[in-house]
Amino acid sequence: MPSSSPILLATGFAITALLVSPFSLRGNEEGKGASPQFEASQITFFETNIRPVLEQNCLECHSGVKAKTGLQLNSRQGWLRGSDYRKVVDPAAPDKSVLIKAVHQTGEKDIPSMPKDGNKLSEQEITDLTTWIAMGLPWPDEEVEVPDDPTQHWSFQPVAPPEVPANAGHPVDYFIRKAQQNAGVTAAPKADRATLYRRVHFDLLGLPPKFEEQQKFVNDPRPDREAWPALIDHLMASPHYGERWARHWMDVARYSDTKGYEAGGRERRFVYSYTYRDWLIRAFNEDIPYDQFILYQLAAEQLVNWEGKDKHHLAALGFITLSKNGQQELIVDDRLDTTFRGMMALTVACARCHDHKFDPIPTKEYYGLYSVFQNSLKEEQPTIGEPVEGPAYDKYLKELAEKQKVIDDFLEPKLAKIAEEFPDLANRRIQLMAKLERADRRELQNKQRVVDKFVADAKMEPDKALVVVDNENPGQQAVFIRGNPGRRGEIAPRQFLSIASQGEPKKFEKGSGRLEMAQEIANKDNPLTARNIVNRVWMWHFGEGIVRSIDDFGITGEKPDHPELLDWLAHWFVDNGWSIKGLHHLILTSETWQQQSQNENHESNLVADAENRLLWVFPKKRLELEQMRDAILDVSGNLSNEMYGRTVKILEPPYSNRRSVYAFIDRQNLNPVFRNFDFSNPQETSAKRPSTTIPMQALFTMNSDFIQNQAAILAEKAQKQEDGIAYLHKQVFGRTPTESDQILADSFLTAFESDAKGRTRQTNTEWSYGYGHIDKEAGVTFTPLPHWTGERWQIAKEHPLKDDPRSYLYADEGGLHPGFTAKESFIYQWEAPDDMTADISGVVRRSSVNKGNGVRVQIANDKGKVFKDVIMEASRGTLPMDLNGIQIAKGDRIFFIVDPHKNNSSFDSVHWSPQIIDRSGAWPKWGLAEDFSGPATPANAWSAYAHALLNTNRFLFVE
Amino acid sequence: MTPSLSSRRQFLQRTGMGMGSLGLSSLLGDLNAGDRSLNPLAPGKTHFPARAKRVIHIFANGGPSQVDSFDYKPALAKYHGKEVPGGGLRTERKTGTLMASPFNFSQHGECGLWASDLFPKVSAMADDLCVINSMYANVPNHEPSLMLMNTGAERTSLVRPSMGSWINYGLGTENENLPGFVSLCPGGVPIVETQNWRSAFLPGAYQGTHIDTKSTTIAKLIPDIKNARMPRDLQRKQLDLIQEMNRQDAEANGVDSNMEARIHSLELAYKMQIEATDAFNVEREPQHIRELYGDTLHGRQMLITRRLIERGVRFVQVWHGAGQPWDSHAEIAKNHGRLGNEADQPIAALLQDLKQRGLLEDTLVIWGGEFGRTPTVELPTPGANAANTKLGRDHNHHGFTMWMAGGGTKGGLQYGKTDEFGFQAVENKMHVHDLHATILYLLGFNHEKLTYRYAGRDFRLTDVHGEVFHDLFA
Repeated sequence: MPSSSPILLATGFAITALLVSPFSLRGNEEGKGASPQFEASQITFFETNIRPVLEQNCLECHSGVKAKTGLQLNSRQGWLRGSDYRKVVDPAAPDKSVLIKAVHQTGEKDIPSMPKDGNKLSEQEITDLTTWIAMGLPWPDEEVEVPDDPTQHWSFQPVAPPEVPANAGHPVDYFIRKAQQNAGVTAAPKADRATLYRRVHFDLLGLPPKFEEQQKFVNDPRPDREAWPALIDHLMASPHYGERWARHWMDVARYSDTKGYEAGGRERRFVYSYTYRDWLIRAFNEDIPYDQFILYQLAAEQLVNWEGKDKHHLAALGFITLSKNGQQELIVDDRLDTTFRGMMALTVACARCHDHKFDPIPTKEYYGLYSVFQNSLKEEQPTIGEPVEGPAYDKYLKELAEKQKVIDDFLEPKLAKIAEEFPDLANRRIQLMAKLERADRRELQNKQRVVDKFVADAKMEPDKALVVVDNENPGQQAVFIRGNPGRRGEIAPRQFLSIASQGEPKKFEKGSGRLEMAQEIANKDNPLTARNIVNRVWMWHFGEGIVRSIDDFGITGEKPDHPELLDWLAHWFVDNGWSIKGLHHLILTSETWQQQSQNENHESNLVADAENRLLWVFPKKRLELEQMRDAILDVSGNLSNEMYGRTVKILEPPYSNRRSVYAFIDRQNLNPVFRNFDFSNPQETSAKRPSTTIPMQALFTMNSDFIQNQAAILAEKAQKQEDGIAYLHKQVFGRTPTESDQILADSFLTAFESDAKGRTRQTNTEWSYGYGHIDKEAGVTFTPLPHWTGERWQIAKEHPLKDDPRSYLYADEGGLHPGFTAKESFIYQWEAPDDMTADISGVVRRSSVNKGNGVRVQIANDKGKVFKDVIMEASRGTLPMDLNGIQIAKGDRIFFIVDPHKNNSSFDSVHWSPQIIDRSGAWPKWGLAEDFSGPATPANAWSAYAHALLNTNRFLFVE
Repeated sequence: MTPSLSSRRQFLQRTGMGMGSLGLSSLLGDLNAGDRSLNPLAPGKTHFPARAKRVIHIFANGGPSQVDSFDYKPALAKYHGKEVPGGGLRTERKTGTLMASPFNFSQHGECGLWASDLFPKVSAMADDLCVINSMYANVPNHEPSLMLMNTGAERTSLVRPSMGSWINYGLGTENENLPGFVSLCPGGVPIVETQNWRSAFLPGAYQGTHIDTKSTTIAKLIPDIKNARMPRDLQRKQLDLIQEMNRQDAEANGVDSNMEARIHSLELAYKMQIEATDAFNVEREPQHIRELYGDTLHGRQMLITRRLIERGVRFVQVWHGAGQPWDSHAEIAKNHGRLGNEADQPIAALLQDLKQRGLLEDTLVIWGGEFGRTPTVELPTPGANAANTKLGRDHNHHGFTMWMAGGGTKGGLQYGKTDEFGFQAVENKMHVHDLHATILYLLGFNHEKLTYRYAGRDFRLTDVHGEVFHDLFA
């Protein structure tokens, strides 16, 4: 490898434009990597005679990344590189250059006439161009200087762990303290045991602590140095640990239970995706050494006996197979990207269309790796679970066979017929299938869809792994020029990346080379692999990585904030048998991790380090979607302990009570709630989840049935306790309520109960829907409609109700109908929650104009005041009913009355959606249609209190 | 500019992470002013002054025929039933001879725009329309063309954010009571489904909110928008309790910006329960406005569109319907006729209504499909359209028409040309990438600089393409 020497990078674009390989910088025609020196007169010649010609005739099509055929004539490098297909100039023989022939418009075969649109260049211009080429293409220095040889970038260097002095204490703290001292920043003191217990519990298990267990730790008489490591080991031994940490890796593996978009209703589900998730949970719980963890996920099928005891490892290949569907080259690209971005923090996919702009990854090497995956596309589904037996399974098999037979009966005669036509294809099923008519293929697809759906729905098959196997005769892979599969370049040999190799990159010789590739990734000398995983684990503990660009350790990524620490950790990790649990133990025992989430010196620390890169405070973190949902279930006592198995839907009723890691993840149509809570995008490998705060999150925690159901269950339990409030605080926060908590709770419960008490409203809004009339003496009589259909209120289930003057009464979102007579006038009732000055508006609309005899419309209150009373004649279609600035007192009831008028209710379907606006703005406006709702579930103060606790920052953040 | 979440640093320096001294209320005020690290929907800054502040994209999904609407080709009548001289172009299926339009063309407005009677009321507003006859895309298939139009990347397996997500990322929202990007589609979803409005690698806050406008039950439009169990006043009491506990904890433990942001968003959510539903209730409109739009599904959804735009939603995409309604492979006269009839009055009403409210000036309205249709008749394919073999048109990405209105575009302009038969764009050709670049320009963004760093690359809506077409600007 060359030593650090500056090279020139043309427009920051193609490092290897001039070069055979990025690593042979000295071997190129330009000598030591610098451009040749030209005479000032030569540069003048270029500026005067050449550049204007280029500007006018060539550059519109031939410049920048959009250049036609890849030929960029806007830089000297571009001229020398030529097009994607060939060189275009030869300074030794300018006349013979393709480009000169092209502008001569010789019409020779394979020589296009240029410029394509516009006039032919003049003889003088062509002569100048030829002269200029002969000079060696003089061009002024315009290039951007890259200070360092990209191969010397930090992440490509071998891991170089610094020495840690014997008395340095915890190595993590040693490095962090050193950096803090240099910057004049002071760390926060250690957090108390209760805080740490909650923090570590969520961190390792993704679950809230149990109060009693937390107390046991708080009161553990052993000193911290004994009690704390023991706690960490204890928690890591819990099976819930794997459920939490598998999910982290599932983000990397773009885990999904569906393939993506499939046209024509084809089945999208992976039937066995969950076996990969289950494998991950076991792998984390068993602490499979990380190098093995990589090998299994990339090449398990070559490492285990398919029939043996270790066959369950086959499921690890889900890392490859659970990719997004689509065109084959994009499937391959996705697998490559997930592998290298996920396992080596390298954005190799950038080299798909051109040599990587920044990192030393030539396109040819990309396609060498592409070839590995291209030659392992064949999929199989070996059984890894216990065989299923019994009558239910037999029934399933029988049904499956029947469904399969439908396909066979359809397909076989057609294939037989084709085979008659093409006897030499008789035994080559794939070729025969290819000759099916379009309509038949479509029909076959429809029939196949039925079978696939049946299998996926039945959930009867034993566990199977989704594996890939190597092609028996791996094919050669050509470079796709500019990523276009239709444009083939040179053959790319299967081999590892030069940049991550010590010495010559390993050439792959066995099969697709996938196992060899995996071994190179899992190689202890690979400079990126160990750094990548320790950085990710660090991020999962602290919220940010030591390198903040988690999946990009390349030139454009960030540099490590603590390079020595990163290398020390990477080295230590490999040295300690690639143990993830060992790494947890190391990090969690540091004082850096155990410090408080506030720091009394934060003002001065902020000035020095506003982004907390020096970790002078432990960052407070909002619970992730899974942590939040699991915690809600757990504190309510409803979380299922069941592990493994097929997926469940967590956001639709009936709400599953299993842990969120078992959620059905639909890559194509992910329920928006997932991403509202910053869930990773299952379309591609994810680095770090975003951290956003938006009202849609609050709508979910305030209003979703799921959370309110859990709160109700929790409240019911609390009410059975001697001290319900203490119980709730222990359950939800893992601590006893403070005096202030107690006061707040008491006053809330009292006020809520008194407000809710005697509230016999029909609905939970201020509106009720009913009938009655204005009585001169008694004022307005109002009776709520008793029957709710799910969409409308009416008098009874039967509608219209036979032989009853109320028969046609109903109300739905804005629509209504009165009864036969004035006594059964339709009435909306609105009850004021507060004193206010209000404006009322709304339009009454009759659907049957000129029919019937119209209606009488009134607005009144319960104190005998009639604000408005209008007869709406049959001819009238609309009637505005507005009132401005009326005074309303808390508890007042306002009635909106539709009288059938003269006791004739024919054609009296009316639409009326009054709106009430509190002028002070203290209350959001009310609208009949907007607020329309069904029957009230009685508001329960304790449920509301429990639900409130689940909505506090205290519950939703970990400090 | 990259209006990313990176202003966090300045924010922290400005306010202090612990900010005990600052107190809650001032911080809440600050949040409204907008820190995007805490609130990804806070208003963003443009690169240069914007001509348009918001966008309505009326998506005639399926591919409306240009030669039957806004691209008048008299030669089609002349060559009706004859082969395309010099041969046709590659299309999805086999097509045959040229076919005259069953619709009648006439000139409209002072500008004299030639348009058919497929869209009589929209055409009557010709002087407000900026018609682009020279659009082109890459392939004649729905899925990739939809993805191209919506995300700038045609392959369905490439995961790119949609235009609405990019625009929200760039501009944020003017009204936090509503999602910044709303996708209205009656009766279900278009093909390729929610990919059409996904945020991909951008944070989920920028994803489009799909609303099925066929449903008229307001509460069902936005999930969790209502609390079925808690009366509003009691919910306010509950919220007060939550906020009081939050406040006490903040005082005791030091304030954290993310926690503060959450306090703020709880208040927003509380208001949103009412404000958001109100936008979907077209009954609140006066009668004459409702009559203007018409009492139909499309009238209702265009009226909702205006109500959303008026309330500060940045990007509203309005789909004609689930699947691909404009895909008239057969009987173009009947099928396009029906679709035009559904869409014409509501679209014209929207334009008029925006105009009379002064909203059209800074609201960009875009109409079009993912591609157009062939001037030639589609030949029957067994199985596919065997039953309806007559008088339809196939997909055509070589040349098609879109129009824009308002938002700083030049009204009364007819821009670009297709060939004699309306098959292929030949003059001032405008690729979909160019359309995107132009839309972003109108919104005040240099499309090459509105980027997001992801996986080692700065991504943008136009990838490595796109030219701004300045000729289209007023």
